[in-house]
Amino acid sequence: MKSARCLLHLQCLRLLDRSARSAAQCAPLLQSSSSSQPSVLHKNQHQLLRQFHSSPAWSKSQPTPADDHKKDKSLVTNDDLFEQVAKDVKVKATFNKVVDVFLNRDVRRRGHVEFIYAALKKMPEFGVERDLTVYNKLLDVFPKEVFVPRNAVQRMFNHYPRQQECGVQLLEQMEEYGVMPNVETKVLLVQIFGKKAHPVRKYQRMMYWMPKFKHVNPFPVPVQLPEDPVDVARFGLARIANDLDAKVNVYQLPCTDITETGEEITIPHVVGIQSPSQMELLAKHNPNRPVFVEGPFPLWLRQTCVHYYVLRADPPEEKVEEPYDPERSLYYPLQLDVDFGRDLGDEENFDVEDLDEGPVFAMCMTGRGDQATLNQWISGLQENNPMLGQVPTLFRVNAGPQELSASADAESGQAHRPDTKTRSGEKLQRDGEPGVIVEEEPQRRQGRNQ
Amino acid sequence: MSPTKITRLPSARLLSSIVQQQQLFLLPPITPVMTVSKRSMLQGEYRRPGQPKENKFPWEKIKFDFAKGLEGIKKHFTLLKTECFERFVGPEGRPLNVHILEQNRVIWEFRGPESLEQWTVSSDREIGGQSEVYLKLGKNNTCFLYGTLSSTPPRDGETRYSGYCTMRSKQLLASFDRKKHHDWTSFNCLHLRVRGDGRPWMINIAGENYFSYRKDDIYNYFLHTRGGPYWQDVKIPFSKFFLTNRGRILDDQYYLWLDKINTIGFTLGDKTDGPFQLEIDFIGVCKDHAHTEEFAYEMNKKNP
Repeated sequence: MKSARCLLHLQCLRLLDRSARSAAQCAPLLQSSSSSQPSVLHKNQHQLLRQFHSSPAWSKSQPTPADDHKKDKSLVTNDDLFEQVAKDVKVKATFNKVVDVFLNRDVRRRGHVEFIYAALKKMPEFGVERDLTVYNKLLDVFPKEVFVPRNAVQRMFNHYPRQQECGVQLLEQMEEYGVMPNVETKVLLVQIFGKKAHPVRKYQRMMYWMPKFKHVNPFPVPVQLPEDPVDVARFGLARIANDLDAKVNVYQLPCTDITETGEEITIPHVVGIQSPSQMELLAKHNPNRPVFVEGPFPLWLRQTCVHYYVLRADPPEEKVEEPYDPERSLYYPLQLDVDFGRDLGDEENFDVEDLDEGPVFAMCMTGRGDQATLNQWISGLQENNPMLGQVPTLFRVNAGPQELSASADAESGQAHRPDTKTRSGEKLQRDGEPGVIVEEEPQRRQGRNQ
Repeated sequence: MSPTKITRLPSARLLSSIVQQQQLFLLPPITPVMTVSKRSMLQGEYRRPGQPKENKFPWEKIKFDFAKGLEGIKKHFTLLKTECFERFVGPEGRPLNVHILEQNRVIWEFRGPESLEQWTVSSDREIGGQSEVYLKLGKNNTCFLYGTLSSTPPRDGETRYSGYCTMRSKQLLASFDRKKHHDWTSFNCLHLRVRGDGRPWMINIAGENYFSYRKDDIYNYFLHTRGGPYWQDVKIPFSKFFLTNRGRILDDQYYLWLDKINTIGFTLGDKTDGPFQLEIDFIGVCKDHAHTEEFAYEMNKKNP
């Protein structure tokens, strides 16, 4: 029977990782399995095997090698352990060191539940909360095979409930930070708690649901966003453009200049995007009506929020439907005036009032959202859209982030011509403008206030 | 630090009510008979963490209020009258050919302040957190949900995570405050037109639980917004919704029964502090004939 048990242990060992550690252990085990004393296996510091049949008195009489116990008997909370180490840099290596100190302290791992809870709480401070190897190491703190239920009664009555809760909390924290467990986690959990315990069940649930939801986002954002704000702006603009043909233009790269007087001036980055359909819309825009620069609107990319500005115009008052040019397609007609006899059963569009919000001509992201930078964007846009030179551009820019739809309370409207200088102040400019704009502006404003 | 109650915000969680199941199977033979009514032994009303338990008998909870008076009576009798006579037009007041043939239906369209009356907003301020959420009319009279999320947990000793906000439709009421349900059996997909700011939301659909003892069963799915000035059309088939209860995904999954839907809601709880905004143009249901999937997840027994 003892040899059967040893073989079972050997099988457990084989299940473990293909590390040299297990290979090294197999050799002495094979030698000792021939002997009749299973307690020899206890010489292992790794606590994989547990002695079942020898008396505890025997183990105490054996001198344990690598004896670096703490001789002081003062009550030290587990948090303090981490705090003491924290005087150095809080890094994965120091975290592992603390765990090793605990592992070497007591072979029976007294107080491991409290230690694991304290370690889980301290993980974000050490920056290791997304590291799977650290979680596996923490799981290793549990003594193996002690908590595996051995008969039906134990299985029924939630064997070692506090330890099972602790295991479940560890897996919960993994799930909270989106860390996917691997096969080492499973083997450890099965060794510690048995095959049908709560932590193993939770592991199974995690392995069922996490892969299903990992790629559910149709607009995925990489976990590590680029550091360069220009790259972030590029990514963000490509995302909101909703058009694969849109082209990103970097109008200005960020740099810091030192002027003659010794002051530092930071020039912010200006990155804009425009797609060919937007260019067409702008070309067709009526030059008598102004275009508006609105912003900044927020865009969240995981944990970072960037702001973008939009160049748009009001919806045209009369919708002119241009007939399709019949020469665009010579093989089949683009417009058919045939009534197919569609009735209720074929109605595929929703019966909703159309929201007409006016066309969007371009978007941009800058480092600093003030008039000068946005002017730079407009002048950059003007190279490809000569229409912008004739259309008056009004700025509706708020100091802070604005709602996407907040044009109702537009107090900071300013009339601006791309060539002339701007004036500060919140009132409309009334000189040098065609009378059409000045009169229409307040009317349009009131219309939008509802 | 060994918490027995693990309160969590309503996002997808995995552990299937380990504590509740323990209480169900282990506690009744051990604890003495309590003076609370029988129904609350199984699964009582959700007690907000930090609030004391209310030991009221069910008849003590009914409120008889004649303050509304005549207006209330008039309103209820008008509703009753419409209900009686709309049957002659067709089921739910729609003519029969519409009921049979329709492929889309707009359920909620936000075009004015009265459309906002059908929705309630809530955030974790109710459990002591610091998130704020507001609902107002946006541009073109669409619904505009905005606010700030803050994930500092309230200091009540129980809650460990926080930072969520929701917008939920109110329960439809027939005459005399009886519950009325949405019937979406002839449809397949949920169609939304939204404009978000890139944050991942979650859609919760609560059906009427008739054959189950559980009360807070909600079907969830993700709504990932793109952000940007363009409206986003989102079409989610009902087969993709998975069953959760109080924020934890249940083991025995079943597809969403569309015949009695109570409420729909949107939740944000993405652990990112900061302001958020979401505009919704309309919410509709449609029938996608190309979608033949009954349920996207396995319905076999998960804990054999």
